[in-house]
Amino acid sequence: MNILQVKNLNAWFGDHHVIKNISLDYMTNTISAIIGPSGCGKSTFIRCLNRIHEEVPSAKATGEVIMQGKNIYDADVVSIRKNIGMVFQKPTPFPAMSILDNVLIGVRLQEKLKKARLMDIAENCLQKAALWDEVKDKLNKPGTSLSGGQQQRLCIARSLALNPPILLMDEPTSALDPIATAKIEELMDNLKKEFTVIIVTHNMQQAARIADFTSFFVLGDLIEHGPSTEIFTNPKNKKTEDYIMGKFG
Amino acid sequence: MLAIAIIMLIVSLAILLFKLSLPAISKFGIGFIWGQVWNPISEEFGALPFILGTLTTSFVALLIATPLSISVALFISEICPKKIGHIIGIFVEMIAAVPSIVFGLWGIFSLAPWIQNSATPFLKSTLGFLPLFQGPSYGIGVLAASLILAIMIIPTISSFCREVFRTIPLQTKEAALALGATRFEMIKITILRPSFSGMIGGVVLGLGRALGETMAVAMVIGNSHRLAISILAPGSTMASVIANEYAEASNAMHMASLGYIALLLLVVTLMVNGLARFIIWKWSPKI
Amino acid sequence: MILRKLKNYLFLCLMTLSGVAVLIPLILIITYVIKMGASSLNWQFLTHLPKPVGESGGGMFHAILGTLYLVSLGGFMAIPLGVVLGTYLSELGKGWMATFLRHAIDLFTGIPSIVIGIFAYVLVVVPLKQFSALSGGVALGIIILPVVTRTTEEILKLVSNTTREAGLALGLNRTQVIWHILIKGNRAGIFTGVVLAISRAAGETAPLLFTAFGNSYFSYGLMQPMASLPAQIYTYATSPFEEWQRQAWAGSFVLILLVLGLNLSTRFFMRQKS
Repeated sequence: MNILQVKNLNAWFGDHHVIKNISLDYMTNTISAIIGPSGCGKSTFIRCLNRIHEEVPSAKATGEVIMQGKNIYDADVVSIRKNIGMVFQKPTPFPAMSILDNVLIGVRLQEKLKKARLMDIAENCLQKAALWDEVKDKLNKPGTSLSGGQQQRLCIARSLALNPPILLMDEPTSALDPIATAKIEELMDNLKKEFTVIIVTHNMQQAARIADFTSFFVLGDLIEHGPSTEIFTNPKNKKTEDYIMGKFG
Repeated sequence: MLAIAIIMLIVSLAILLFKLSLPAISKFGIGFIWGQVWNPISEEFGALPFILGTLTTSFVALLIATPLSISVALFISEICPKKIGHIIGIFVEMIAAVPSIVFGLWGIFSLAPWIQNSATPFLKSTLGFLPLFQGPSYGIGVLAASLILAIMIIPTISSFCREVFRTIPLQTKEAALALGATRFEMIKITILRPSFSGMIGGVVLGLGRALGETMAVAMVIGNSHRLAISILAPGSTMASVIANEYAEASNAMHMASLGYIALLLLVVTLMVNGLARFIIWKWSPKI
Repeated sequence: MILRKLKNYLFLCLMTLSGVAVLIPLILIITYVIKMGASSLNWQFLTHLPKPVGESGGGMFHAILGTLYLVSLGGFMAIPLGVVLGTYLSELGKGWMATFLRHAIDLFTGIPSIVIGIFAYVLVVVPLKQFSALSGGVALGIIILPVVTRTTEEILKLVSNTTREAGLALGLNRTQVIWHILIKGNRAGIFTGVVLAISRAAGETAPLLFTAFGNSYFSYGLMQPMASLPAQIYTYATSPFEEWQRQAWAGSFVLILLVLGLNLSTRFFMRQKS
């Protein structure tokens, strides 16, 4: 079943056309990767999917992104974002906030809940983000006191707290060391049981390891999209093949 | 070598100032601070009216300037388009460049009549039951001085707040928006909350500037040596009394007493600025 | 949700409002000074000495010259020293003494100008037993010094270490690197700091009241009292004579033109450069 359909998406920075008429479908409970050389618009593309792209001055996007039958470009921007989680390149724990507050902030903005219920949500999300065992004794320490990998998992837990059907990840491991990266990859494999994950990565091996589907972008164009196994072993497009063979990029 | 010379200079200045005010210090002692009478003819001197004047004007100025400065800093850095923000930023910096004598002149001829004719009737009809707003208004007075000070310290506080806000990474702000926060919630969570102590540092810096501001205040405060509760009444600050009386001090004790006030003012501003730097220093490693 | 949106909207309105509100006093002041000043300004004002009370006409020529004289005097004393100190702090300043000096300079910028005036008074006026241009210059110098020092230090700190190492690798010694590469290479930035410091000093009144004191005629002597634009404005503004008050406005107009002009043109010049 398709949870997210992108139709004729275009995006600009000022006059610079960075995403050129892209249409893509995403299936429920899968991990889809977006790869491509730097500057190909992969980050911009994923940032259009929760409309965070428009927060940049002079940025503009047109087209449709249909989630569960509704075009998010017709809906209220604040309310759609809570249904689409996002994890950024660098860990973004909110400064001056404890680990617990970081996890719960999204929920707290939406509704007032009893303390016990909030604690349940926090534990549940930190479990899912494979962070609970490491932080359960120091929930009141500042979020910024954790290591980089832990901070990134804290940010994942924070997004999960709103229980979004879709989780967007913009190069989530590029600022992390190999061990922390491996942990997050392992975690993502578990996440796809409940969520649909779309991940941008500059690391082809990572896409091959974790993604069910992979799209290949060059200069704002979608060159090829398909099951990862096919993209990486039997690419149909010459450009894809060259990129995978390391001839450019 | 040079560094030692500069340090020596600073130390010797402090000593000279101390020597200058020594007659007053030995005559009045620490009681000078709460002495209420200032009479050059009978050679009786006490600094309380001026200390209170300085405190009141600075406090009222901070009360007005702090929320305004923070909102302007937020407006420039987060809300309006970059180009407009840049222009408003330059305008705010220009306020800091206007000489204080010009503020004073404007205060006498434009602000004071406005206070007397427009602001005072309004304040009296709304808040007149408070002792703060009783008595006649001559236009010039504590309120006029406070307003001028508020305008003058806005650039100090808001520039500093902008520096503080600038240290917040863009991605952190986007992360808040991506969680479904409105712009206001994003600003509250990712900017105001972590910047709190930094902003306090900026406010204290502004206080340091307000305490020492001389000419603009001297021109609009009315130079009365009496204690008054109403902020509509004329008053005096430590800096303004020095400016008004120093060049024509009538006798040695008068001069020494003014020196004593200068010494007190110096100590207070050094302490306030030191406090500001301490807060800023404590706060900065966290970023 | 509606409540959250309402709050958001209210907040944005409030911020925008305050953004506008802050500009109001500046615009009021500048338009008022222009309105009052431009109408009182004439050729005589710029080229003549004051007339006695009661007679119309006369000007502030001596005060304009006096301000330029005093600022140059202060700058002459403070700028070289400030550049050297700033360089020292940035390039060689390590250890407790440099730290102490840095704090001292920082605190110096926070000292009220009226107290600096008293410093200059006890330092120069008391030993020489008279008000003098020299003491006014010293007071302005003490105001200029920390600003120049800080700007120089900050600008030199921005220079990357590789630039220094490249200079050393060329066989220059440390002094040559500092002079030829750091100071000469950053003269535009240092110049900006100097001009900003000078424009600040030009508008200072308080420390001149009991150092340079003021007079109503030409004087060129270091040891004589000297008029300055801000002090003259103060005297005239607080006088009861309408003619003098009118001249105070004209003086303010000239002063604000001088100070804001210097300030803005330097900023503009720097933007063009970078």
